[in-house]
Amino acid sequence: MNFYQRTVAILHKDLRAEWRTKERLSPMVFFVLLVLLVFNFSFELGGAALHEIGPGVLWSSYVFASLLSLNRTFAAESENGSLDGLLLAPGDRSALYLGKMLGNLIFLLAVQLLSLPFFALFFNLSIGFYLWPLLLVFLFGSSSLAAVGTLFAAMSNNMRLRELLLPLLLLPLILPAVLSCVASTAAVLAQNQGEKLYIHLQMLGVYTLVFAVLSFLLFEYVIEE
Amino acid sequence: MFSRILSILVFLLMPLALYAVFMYVPTEKQMGIVQRIFYFHVPSAISAYLAFFIVCLSSIQYLRTRAVKWDHIAVSAAELGVTFSIIVLITGPLWAKPTWGVYWRWEPRLTSMLIMFTAYVAYLMVRTYGNPFSEQTRRFAAVLGICGFANVPLVHYSVRLWSPEHQLHPTENTLIPAMEQTLYLCFATVFMLFAYLLHRRVELERIAHAIADLEQSTSAKTFTEGT
Repeated sequence: MNFYQRTVAILHKDLRAEWRTKERLSPMVFFVLLVLLVFNFSFELGGAALHEIGPGVLWSSYVFASLLSLNRTFAAESENGSLDGLLLAPGDRSALYLGKMLGNLIFLLAVQLLSLPFFALFFNLSIGFYLWPLLLVFLFGSSSLAAVGTLFAAMSNNMRLRELLLPLLLLPLILPAVLSCVASTAAVLAQNQGEKLYIHLQMLGVYTLVFAVLSFLLFEYVIEE
Repeated sequence: MFSRILSILVFLLMPLALYAVFMYVPTEKQMGIVQRIFYFHVPSAISAYLAFFIVCLSSIQYLRTRAVKWDHIAVSAAELGVTFSIIVLITGPLWAKPTWGVYWRWEPRLTSMLIMFTAYVAYLMVRTYGNPFSEQTRRFAAVLGICGFANVPLVHYSVRLWSPEHQLHPTENTLIPAMEQTLYLCFATVFMLFAYLLHRRVELERIAHAIADLEQSTSAKTFTEGT
């Protein structure tokens, strides 16, 4: 099996396991809903708040949900003792990173798309074609979270206090990405702010590239026994 | 020997720097007396970033060679980086209150410093909550040290994009010669202090590991003798 096939095999395995158990997707969507509720009661959200804190609320809930989901990236593997099997597989281990990272990316994207209707409902967001760049923002935002998150999920999986440690490690590192996610979402909601959107998407692209390459190189050191 | 020379230099330079800051240099016209904090604020900020850079370099070296000495340097530099960024984060608001009217503004450089500070506190937490003598903790810390430093330019760029406040730090050099001399003297002092602390801290880390190794070998010995 070459590198590409191994990556796809891991991705396929994760997607199939998720399809059968739905142990990550449904809790995450429900979690986003709950966080939106909490924000709603803390800030009295309404039409006027949409542009001011809407993007921030949306991405805060996505980031918290992604932390929950990232924790599970390798948890199921080590609970079932299947991580050793994956590590024993011949070839470059960065295929494991890439497969897991793509899996995380797909889960995060799915959660964002599934929970967007709740957001639109609570914030009285008018649905229209002007929202389509949000897809790009979601894609870029989730790839940045998945790129760095998968590396640190592998790390915290091997540590004491893993659920506690992952957010502490991850949040300082993903802050630049979160800033750009919020700003580009705000640009989409405000409409006619194409330039701002473009700059922040660029920023997210650079961020994802830097951390994907770094994680790709460093993954070997994190996973080694 | 090296540390003796450094310590002598620090003890000579520090009173000189304090004299220069409090006596020699004239008070700045607009900001008044509080501006004197600048002579320690700026060198501390540079030292903090220098420390983060050292963490990154020695982390790379550790992953390449697996020589423990690089890890000693990395953890020591990370502690110093956090210490010096605390100095920056304390002196910054003290200076900001009379100048800007408030202790804290979400100004790009201050914000970046705060984010970097949190990243390296996380680095130290990995070391604290992992087994300090295990190889795995060292590897994880090295990975985090590299990622943390790769984040520096990204944080700076994105904070500037995001920041609701404009850059409030002066961008041009408006210092008169006496101020420049004082600043250079303070740079020399703080860098010497940094080098001295780093050297001592690495030494301490080395000793701690030597003791741990000794304890391990003696306990293994008593165990075999007992059975």
